[in-house]
Amino acid sequence: MLTTVATLVILGLIWGGVYLLMAEGLNLIYGVMKVVNLAHGDFIVFGGLLALTLFETFGVSPAVSFPIAGLLIFAFGALVQFGVIERIGLGRPDAELRTLLATFGLSYVVANTSFLLWGSQFQSIPFLQGSIQLGTIAIPEALLMCSAIAFAIAIVVHIWLTHTMLGKSVRAVAQSGLGAASCGLDIVWLRILAFALGSAMAGSAGALLIALIPFQTASGSELTVQAFTLIALGGLGNYGGAFLAAELLGLVEVFTQYLYGSNAASALIYLVFIGVLVCRPQGLLGRVGRV
Amino acid sequence: MLDLVEPKDAVRSDVTRRAGLSACVAAGLALLALGVPAVFAPPVSAQDTGPIKIGLAITQTGPFSPPASYELRGYELAVDQINKSGGLLGRQLQIVKYDDQGNPATAVQLYQKLLTDDRVDLLLSPYQTDLVGAVAPVVNRAKKVMPSLAANVEHFEGKYPYLIQSMTQTSRYMAPIIDLAAAKGYKTIAILVQNTQFPQQLAQGIEEKAKEKGLTVVFKETYAPTTTDFSALVLKASEAKPDVIIGATYLADAQGIVRAAKSQNVQAKMFAFSIGPVEPEFYKGLGTAAETVFGTTLYFKTLKTKGNVEFVAAFREKYNLDPTYHAAVAYASMKVFGDVIKKVGSLDQDKIRAEFVKTAEETVVGHYELDQNGKQLGYGSYALQWLNGQQELVWPKADATTDPVLPHPGWK
Repeated sequence: MLTTVATLVILGLIWGGVYLLMAEGLNLIYGVMKVVNLAHGDFIVFGGLLALTLFETFGVSPAVSFPIAGLLIFAFGALVQFGVIERIGLGRPDAELRTLLATFGLSYVVANTSFLLWGSQFQSIPFLQGSIQLGTIAIPEALLMCSAIAFAIAIVVHIWLTHTMLGKSVRAVAQSGLGAASCGLDIVWLRILAFALGSAMAGSAGALLIALIPFQTASGSELTVQAFTLIALGGLGNYGGAFLAAELLGLVEVFTQYLYGSNAASALIYLVFIGVLVCRPQGLLGRVGRV
Repeated sequence: MLDLVEPKDAVRSDVTRRAGLSACVAAGLALLALGVPAVFAPPVSAQDTGPIKIGLAITQTGPFSPPASYELRGYELAVDQINKSGGLLGRQLQIVKYDDQGNPATAVQLYQKLLTDDRVDLLLSPYQTDLVGAVAPVVNRAKKVMPSLAANVEHFEGKYPYLIQSMTQTSRYMAPIIDLAAAKGYKTIAILVQNTQFPQQLAQGIEEKAKEKGLTVVFKETYAPTTTDFSALVLKASEAKPDVIIGATYLADAQGIVRAAKSQNVQAKMFAFSIGPVEPEFYKGLGTAAETVFGTTLYFKTLKTKGNVEFVAAFREKYNLDPTYHAAVAYASMKVFGDVIKKVGSLDQDKIRAEFVKTAEETVVGHYELDQNGKQLGYGSYALQWLNGQQELVWPKADATTDPVLPHPGWK
């Protein structure tokens, strides 16, 4: 019994890490730009399928291909920000709606490009399928790796945003584009950087996730919803909040699945979500009015 | 003449009529957009002289298109062969096809168009139970026979007498697995079921067959189709200590369950899944973890069924691909359709329907036979096992390419 509970706690915590990995890029882009990237899930899928091709043609494991996928999608993200989002009137009052529509369209472009390249079948990579034994508790290796990388990314990004000049500049742009520009910051360049980084995080997350969760080119929108739920629960754009929310969701899911069945688990997650939003509309750690 | 049962529900038929009307309006507008002359083209009465038009809408683009394209290939190969051997009733066959994009509403509109606009003589079915269900009222009202590639049985239980089931019933998919388990003396089963229609019907079939063969279901649980983490579910299933763990699954969830079972080192004598192992991606995604896992298929290229060697050769020649079970059921469906029409000697749909339910024919898929409602009784299914990176047909024994490896040797 004790072993089971311990196993469930560990599984819940590391699945939480996986959910965090899924949501980090979206959180960064929202946090610094107030743009909800609706193509986020499709970036994840694209990165995953890219890793699949690298694996099949060159035998490259996801551990190697995730930075490659990240770099490629970094470039793509920069192009999107420069070529699309910067051109649709970010300074206007309806900017949020415009960016929503633009990224919604983008999600179709990315999903259908993936479809043309890879077809529609569910794909996955056999990688780290074993587990590490801790006494009688088995910890799946792939899960552990995804979680560890997710936490590392969370910490690095947090430090970058709070302790480096560049990170601080990005936050300055988030707080007031006009103010940042008048201090001499190149806000267009900084926004491109932020969007590209967020996209890269989605792409490299995909390369790791595909070893854990099979993707299909149509899975993107589902992943976007999951990621968005998580960052909304944590407080949009808040890194600590996203971490807490991810762990909460992981634990709730694993325990409910074990105790009340999997159907209850998928319902309970959204009940928790609604409950939190009713009591704290700004999310677990979100602050009202904070950018 | 047949005693036809129209849907009795007045509200429902009103709704479908209105949907039909709007589909007609939409089709009309589309024609206008394409060019007015098409609307005023003189109605050509091609009866008895020109080609016999066979209409269908099938998914040619979008995420559901790969299996559907195999079905289309199967249909087209059969039509080619029938045409080469002189056609039907002395006339050539001509396929009129549209792309439904996997969307039931689009499929309904396209079948309306096929019936009212293209005035096709015969109909073939779209891909998948959901789309067959969507077009069923339209097709049935037009009194056109439609051999249908749908595994769920509810459309073939008297409500739509013009629909003919040309595919194995869902509930029979897992029968050879249970049969094999019983033959090995296994006693207990755990069933994990995706909470959607097709897997639910699969599970029902598994339970019935298990009861018949004297196996006990010690654990059964459903999960949402969006589930990605199966660890808690497999842990719980393993606590019931079943001999056999069966998943009524599709591909992604089957892989998820295998991953969870492997990493949690869940032991059972046999692991089997419905849809999943039949796809090559199952092994590609899982690698050696897929070894000795069982699956099912409705057809296998090595089967010694009638005409199968020729079918596989012709399919390879035309498409440079091996036929899948989707290709084979579609091919067989069209072949039987042709034979039935030859026997009837006309395109009279009621006579064709009456002949269909009397038909007992050997096809590449197996024995084709229907009950009075048009439900498929002849077709069965086969157990596959992944062995050394290859799919082998292992049960029933008479069709097996090799012996099954049992019990499961444990996860490596």
